[in-house]
Amino acid sequence: MPVRAIVRRTLGLAWVVPALVLVGVFVYLPLAQNLGFSTLEWDIYSGSQEFVGLDNYRRLLDDPVFWSSFGDNLLYAVISIVFQVFGALVLAALVESVRSERWRRSLRAIYFLPSAISLTVAGLLFYFIYEPNLGPLNHLLRAVGLEQFTQAWLGQESTAMYAIIAMSQWQGFGYSVLLFAVAIQRIPSEIYGAAAIDGVGPIRRFVHVTLPLVREMTGLMAIVTISGAFQVFNEVMVMTGGGPNNSTQVLGTWLYRSGFVRNNFGYAAAIATVLFVITLGVAMAQLWVTRRRRVEW
Amino acid sequence: MRSRALTTFAALAGTLVLAGCGGGEPAKAPAADIAAAPEFSGTLSILTKFAGEPLSSYFEDVAAEYQRMHPGVKVELIQETDQSIKDKTKTLTASDALPDIYFTWTGNWAENFVRGGRAADLTKVIGPDTPWGKTFGKAALSAFAYDGKYYGIPLYNNGKFMGYNKAAFEAAGLKVPTSFEELLASCAPLREAGYEPITFGNKDGWPALHYLQQLFAYTVPSATLQADFSPKTATLDHPGYVTALKQFKTLVDQCTDTREGTNGVLYSSAQEKFLNGKAAMYYQEILEFANVTDERELKPENFGIFPLPVPQGAAGDPKAIEGAPEGYLINARSPRVALAVDFMKFATGAENAKTLSAAPYGQPSTVIGAVTAETSGKAVFEGIEMVNQASQLAIWLDTVTVPEVADAWLAGGEALVSGGSTPEKVLESVRQASASAK
Repeated sequence: MPVRAIVRRTLGLAWVVPALVLVGVFVYLPLAQNLGFSTLEWDIYSGSQEFVGLDNYRRLLDDPVFWSSFGDNLLYAVISIVFQVFGALVLAALVESVRSERWRRSLRAIYFLPSAISLTVAGLLFYFIYEPNLGPLNHLLRAVGLEQFTQAWLGQESTAMYAIIAMSQWQGFGYSVLLFAVAIQRIPSEIYGAAAIDGVGPIRRFVHVTLPLVREMTGLMAIVTISGAFQVFNEVMVMTGGGPNNSTQVLGTWLYRSGFVRNNFGYAAAIATVLFVITLGVAMAQLWVTRRRRVEW
Repeated sequence: MRSRALTTFAALAGTLVLAGCGGGEPAKAPAADIAAAPEFSGTLSILTKFAGEPLSSYFEDVAAEYQRMHPGVKVELIQETDQSIKDKTKTLTASDALPDIYFTWTGNWAENFVRGGRAADLTKVIGPDTPWGKTFGKAALSAFAYDGKYYGIPLYNNGKFMGYNKAAFEAAGLKVPTSFEELLASCAPLREAGYEPITFGNKDGWPALHYLQQLFAYTVPSATLQADFSPKTATLDHPGYVTALKQFKTLVDQCTDTREGTNGVLYSSAQEKFLNGKAAMYYQEILEFANVTDERELKPENFGIFPLPVPQGAAGDPKAIEGAPEGYLINARSPRVALAVDFMKFATGAENAKTLSAAPYGQPSTVIGAVTAETSGKAVFEGIEMVNQASQLAIWLDTVTVPEVADAWLAGGEALVSGGSTPEKVLESVRQASASAK
């Protein structure tokens, strides 16, 4: 190999070394360390760390809150798929079918606006919307004669998780709509033109033209949504902290509570590892889908 | 939701890892002699629980004055709130980065730092027979004593009382209830008079535990209760527990407007309702009394307090009051322990103690003579007098026992409020948590 090529290659490597070091130190090293912590019984006060092998993972199997947290993540994923994938796709198709460009832009902006608000702020906002005494939701229900439906939305085990998920849909919906809108815009107008000449109505056009041609984006969004549903943390912490009676715990918050409230840092690390395995699996599926489902035209 | 799998996990894991850095070190002996003459140089770090108005300026002023007296010393304040200091302290502990002086509750909370060798033994300087120790009430000093050694510097006392609106009671034709049953009976007339009888917010879980701990102190004999706090000796089979849990549930259902939805209400929202004159009673700490001011609907002259009334036939201690002093520990591994002791002597000096006890802070100092009706206000003075006369202080349930058991009580209290569980099931879940924490 010529000397110039070697120098160029070495220089090229030198450029990426700082980034590699940063990623190594701040992403991969914590991952490896966390795996180590999950095999320890760790007393943060005395600093003693006792190796317990897989005991923390065995404890997970018998922990009802771990399983209910996992169930809440699943519930989150299912509802998010319905609203943020299928619901958002339908709405994006409707928005893109509006003839006026000005209206299309306005609608996209209106739907996207909640996504510009941070989850923590949105969580606080909805905490006050749901507040049983002063919250506007209960006031609204009373104003329209539906007093029997007023609730302490976040204060009851039966409604708290759904109330949090509803907020999350409100916050993330517009982002999905925007992505689907972009995907729909990429579909050549000639295809829609041909469908119109063939006398295809709007619903059949959506089913037989739009849906197959945004298949790649739909698959991607489904996976991103599932992955996101297993990483839920901020909204739960802000709105309920996992209560009442652990009814809104998700894996992220149960991890936090196990470590920082119950002082079981080794056990918390085991939950973190399980969470990592789940999200890694989803991320790999995401990579696979993006390779396999590309539609060319 | 955006794709953030690796980064979010890394953030969560990183938090644990941050907590883990340096955690493998065994407990070390104190780095310096606490009784040595302090060297007035360097930076002294302090973790306080006084973030937010009006409290934050207390330590800021004390630190500024101390720096003025000792120009070579820089005082670095880390001020946290009641909620955030729990996570902050644990993260700093696990990463072996505790400041020179740090806040503590009594009970299991402080005991963990003592057991882990992270709190300096201050017996030589603050023991009851030392000049500094004699400036404090004995009970306050003893609250931070373990195995005959004194570790904590009690800054202020605290106790839980039912605050009431005298005008509301007058409008309903009521007198201060003398039994728990009378308290329950007072709720209907107060509601008829246009007030929420007892305002209560349990979003964070611990407010329910405050009711429960006071009721446990009344309904469970002291020796049994103390034994049940430690998983090693706990049986949690005294019938007084179920009785107290039922009494608490009855109070929530009969006397609050939010009833089973109380878990959705912030503690501070309930406090606001009381201060706005819309609720007749609010169970509160002495530290909150200073919120009743002339600017609020509830005026100081209409504000009264009484201990949560004792249920009839209770088997426990009717003269116990829930509460505990709160204070500070000195990091045993700090190279500046003598300077830290000197700073805390200054912070608990007579003048600063009076300042702390007076408005706008209203934190009743544990220093003898600092709390008077003139300096602290009538309600704070009355509260402290009752705390001083109590047969014993029942330490907060979420700090007196181990975290797993405290967490089971927290979840159980919420379940009881929402109706998601029965008193018997709540007690069983706590028994299980205690058994697994042995």
